[in-house]
Amino acid sequence: MSGAVGREAVFPTRQSLGLMKSKLKGAETGHSLLKRKSEALTKRFREITRRIDEAKQKMGRVMQIAAFSLAEVSYAVGGDIGYQIQESAKQARFRVRAKQENVSGVLLPHFESYTEDSINDFGLTGLGKGGQQVQRCRETYARAVETLVELASLQTAFVILDEVIKVVNRRVNAIEHVIIPRTENTIKYINSELDELDREEFYRLKKVSGKKQRDVAAADAEMEAARERQAAEQQSALKLDEDPAAPDVLGEQEDTDVIF
Amino acid sequence: MEGLFFNVSSGYVEGIVRGYRNSLLSGQNYNNLTQCETIDDVKLQLAPAYGDFLAALPPNPSTSALAGKMTDKLVAEFRYLMAQATGSTARFLEFLTYGYMIDNIALLITGTLHERDTRELLERCHPLGWFETLPVLCVATNIEELYNSVLIETPLAGYFKGSLSHQDLDELNIEIVRNTLYKNYLEDFHDFVTTHPDFRGTPTQEVMSEILQFEADRRAINITLNSFGTELSKQERRKLYPEFGKLYPEGSLMLSRADDIEAVTLAVSISADYKAFFDAVGLTQGGAGMGGMSGNSDGKSLEDLFYQKEMEMSKIVFTRQFTPAVVYAWMRLKEQEIRNVTWIAECIAQNQKERIGNFISVF
Repeated sequence: MSGAVGREAVFPTRQSLGLMKSKLKGAETGHSLLKRKSEALTKRFREITRRIDEAKQKMGRVMQIAAFSLAEVSYAVGGDIGYQIQESAKQARFRVRAKQENVSGVLLPHFESYTEDSINDFGLTGLGKGGQQVQRCRETYARAVETLVELASLQTAFVILDEVIKVVNRRVNAIEHVIIPRTENTIKYINSELDELDREEFYRLKKVSGKKQRDVAAADAEMEAARERQAAEQQSALKLDEDPAAPDVLGEQEDTDVIF
Repeated sequence: MEGLFFNVSSGYVEGIVRGYRNSLLSGQNYNNLTQCETIDDVKLQLAPAYGDFLAALPPNPSTSALAGKMTDKLVAEFRYLMAQATGSTARFLEFLTYGYMIDNIALLITGTLHERDTRELLERCHPLGWFETLPVLCVATNIEELYNSVLIETPLAGYFKGSLSHQDLDELNIEIVRNTLYKNYLEDFHDFVTTHPDFRGTPTQEVMSEILQFEADRRAINITLNSFGTELSKQERRKLYPEFGKLYPEGSLMLSRADDIEAVTLAVSISADYKAFFDAVGLTQGGAGMGGMSGNSDGKSLEDLFYQKEMEMSKIVFTRQFTPAVVYAWMRLKEQEIRNVTWIAECIAQNQKERIGNFISVF
């Protein structure tokens, strides 16, 4: 597994090792944070799912009652009042306000319904007959629309949360299965490279010191030989001292170099 | 005496209507209808009474389509009667259509006020309220023009005159216009059946004035009840009460001053019938309040009781001879029948069988 994710293209230096280590740490912190976020969102998501279920069942009942109250109106009025109501309604009595709710950093729209009681556009509809049924029908439908608004806000939250949870889970998985192993690999690689370099260096040092020793040994041997030669020369010089033509040490001629 | 020459001109119409009356759905038919599982079954059950009119409907039609087809039959039959009627009977039948005309005109005025294309509104008009100059209303593009050149040409011009000017059409709520017209219409109709030489002192005057008085009282009570909690002022409200009926004048005066249901109950207590209705729906108990109107134990509302009473009165009309009032009674019964069937079909379509028996059957 870890072999498949490869490693990052970095130069195996100590600096990048430090970078990688801090990156790994960051990734681990981020992973645990994201995991917690995803759990919180999932919890919320489940709650919303449950509430959508409830709201849908409620909607079914309320809409049925509402449709039935419309039937009552048509029975009481004995005709079609739809057109008249459509024309006399000028302003919305039932209104929706949108708010935003923050759930672990996700902005969920929340619709809130309210009625403008001052707006009563068709209060006189069915004055002659069926007025009470019309008003009752309106109330029933207002309740039905309330349920619909609630359901709409839940559904929107559901869709958004679904998307966000997917993104968060993808990130969690990416960090868990790609970024962390890759960073670890990189660190391992850098470590191994650095070890390799260390070993090379050590070997080179060893080589150098070996050569130095050999050189020193050679130099020692030469010096030994020189000393021996000197000693032999002194011997011969002592012998030559009796010679008149003893060489003038302070004279022009050069001395042989002394090599230690 | 009064029946001596009736059959000369109007006997055929009366005979036809009595025939039509026999095709109204009976309690047995309604029982069968309530047992239906689908709209198609309803259609099948209605086949003997409605025959060809329902044949064109697609399988499982909507309830409104069903009601539309049933109304078509009513319209066709009524047009036939119109074509057969002469003299005062014809005039009587014309009066019957005025109620629908008021609705149509209210619809067109609404459309004109909102500057809609009135042409498409014509399709929505009730066919019985159709009159020759109705399409002309489409020509008018603003209210003033509508009033000055079109409305005064309609049969309803007399109802506009004196009570509504073109300024009113702008500002008044269309419901008030409609109810003012209806009030004038009822008064005119009542005047017609009580003073016309052909009807004065005949059974027509007796039964029609009773029915119209009931209609007037019903409107007055309904307007009062429905105006609670709206911006309709008491003076305006009073103008909408028809100026005849059992409640007029004392009851109307009390109604016009009523602020709550208690006061309405007090106002109607001068008539035993209405008092009984109010007792039945429990409006006399103060605590019931507005909620009492909607649904009480047996599911009957005040409106239901009014409909019930109207149907019973219409049924009794058929016991009288030599009167065009049977046409009125037949139309009311037929309309109630359409409402009943719509209700039953609606209950079946929405699977709410608990209240399917909430219709009014008198035969």
